[in-house]
Amino acid sequence: MTKVIERREMNAVEKIYVVEAAKGMALTMKHFFHGFFKPETLPTVAYPERKVDVPQDYRAHHRLMKRPDGEPRCVACFMCSTACPARCISIEASESKDGQIEKKPKKFEIDLLVCVFCGLCEEACPVDAIRMDTKKIAVVGDSRESFVRTKEDLLDWDPKDYPADDEQSQKAPGGRLNEEARRTSAEGTGH
Amino acid sequence: MNAVTWAFTIVKFLLVFVPLVMIPFMIVMERKGASLIQDRFGPNRSMLPFFGGLRLFGMIQNGADGIKLFTKELIVPKFVHKWYYIAAPMIPFAVAIMTPALLPWFAPITFEQGGVLSRISGQVLDADAGLLVVFALSGLSVYGTVLGGWSSNSKYALLGGLRSSAMMISYEVSMGLSVMGLFLLVGSFRLSDIVAWQSHHVWGILVQPLSFVLYLVSLIAETGRAPFDVAEGEPEIVGHHLEYSAMRFGLFYMGEYVHIVLNSLLVATMFLGGYDLPILHTVGIQAHLGIVAAVILVIFGLSAFGLAVLMRRWIANYQKTNASDKADRRKEYNFMSAGLVVAGVLCFLLALLAAVFVHPEATTVGGELVYPLWASAGTAAVQFGVLFVKALIFCWVWVWVRWSLPRFRYDQVMSLGWKIFLNLALANLLVTAVIAKIVHGGN
Repeated sequence: MTKVIERREMNAVEKIYVVEAAKGMALTMKHFFHGFFKPETLPTVAYPERKVDVPQDYRAHHRLMKRPDGEPRCVACFMCSTACPARCISIEASESKDGQIEKKPKKFEIDLLVCVFCGLCEEACPVDAIRMDTKKIAVVGDSRESFVRTKEDLLDWDPKDYPADDEQSQKAPGGRLNEEARRTSAEGTGH
Repeated sequence: MNAVTWAFTIVKFLLVFVPLVMIPFMIVMERKGASLIQDRFGPNRSMLPFFGGLRLFGMIQNGADGIKLFTKELIVPKFVHKWYYIAAPMIPFAVAIMTPALLPWFAPITFEQGGVLSRISGQVLDADAGLLVVFALSGLSVYGTVLGGWSSNSKYALLGGLRSSAMMISYEVSMGLSVMGLFLLVGSFRLSDIVAWQSHHVWGILVQPLSFVLYLVSLIAETGRAPFDVAEGEPEIVGHHLEYSAMRFGLFYMGEYVHIVLNSLLVATMFLGGYDLPILHTVGIQAHLGIVAAVILVIFGLSAFGLAVLMRRWIANYQKTNASDKADRRKEYNFMSAGLVVAGVLCFLLALLAAVFVHPEATTVGGELVYPLWASAGTAAVQFGVLFVKALIFCWVWVWVRWSLPRFRYDQVMSLGWKIFLNLALANLLVTAVIAKIVHGGN
């Protein structure tokens, strides 16, 4: 589909240039006074000192979700690393001590230099174990190795940074402790 | 020549350095003006490690830039013509230091010493040729650009030099012709006469508005700044300073600002009455020196308070944000606004003292009203301030135009210069001549 843009001929006033130039100068002067007397309304943000608020669903750095007992929710199913187009996730599985869950990750590493922040890992995960809602959009490092996030790094987050009304963002269904809690509450209703 | 005359001569020679001293302030004005026009904040990262990081509105950034330019390596490429290459950046600078000698900074002073009347003119050199010398000198300054472009032995630098020489030729013509109408009315090339005529009659901008516009635009073109910066034209050719590095490039850069200040002083002198304060004029200022000084000081004090209030508002708003350097900024702004408040209070006190105690008495010497020397010196200082403020307005015009209007194409610049400005200047001269003949009659 082509869109034809009609180029309008300048009218007599515009051809003289002076009037249009004066209009432009008035506009810049307006911006100048606006910035001079109301600097707080300028869109510029003094970046390292001030940070803009990133939307909650912005695809930022990853975090691994936890169960109430502090173990990662991840069941080492390799869905995320399979879905990953950049192949930045490397997982090593080991046996889980939890009776209901078969596997857990021994190693879970994301190379942020390779990651394209597409969010496919997030969508592929069957147990909501990986999320990209940390709002961390800048990462600094001085070597290639320093950009590799290990399982411990990914699990290191503070529940207070996430919305309290979203229950799922703090604790998870499933797992032994949850099972016990469910059983005790069921017993409580039985009485 | 006695001691007083010598002292005044030395002061006038020192005033020649006003455009040089103005360079850092011009750079701040340009950067802050440009950034505010573009809805930015401007330089605010360089700071001194006092009072939580003192930034002084970007003034510290100038120091950082200066250190950088001075400590960088001065590269002289092998293919350049070394002599001209090194001399080129100095030429606009040298010219810019010579030209202020012709500007009248204040009205001629008459004072009595030991029963003898002495007169001191308000400029270093009150030449008969006056403005013609100024034109000649400003025409010389383009040699810096042309020589720099040619001696660099580079296609693009040469193109830049050629363009600026062509522009100098075309705009010098219309610039010279545009002020001919004013010369016709004044009947003299002397800058002191032009100012005196304006203070006797009306400001030049009122009798010669078209001439004022033509002259101002021609001066902007002659400075080689946007929208007339075809000599630099970064997207096509980098221009005459392509092969220059470090402080040699910095000299071109600073020469540009010196030229802005100089040309602003010239426009203010020729079309805005120069040092003349309307209604009061020299005699009025001398007679009411105390009141005039008080009014000026009160204006200073009020603007200091206004700036302090603006800064308080800014920091109050900043405290509401989630910034991590709130405490530092609060310290800095407390310090600066405290300084401004102290300055404002001092201004008010001085104004009060001036209004109450300063009342110069005139004596008649040889049938002429003569005021004491201190009153004349005070008047000269006030007049210098008036000229300076007028020039500052035009300095802002230079910055404002540069950041508002897009660059003209090279052929547009040429056709504007030759087909429009030249004709307008000639028509203006003709009309002025006819009207002057009808009004004045005779010669």
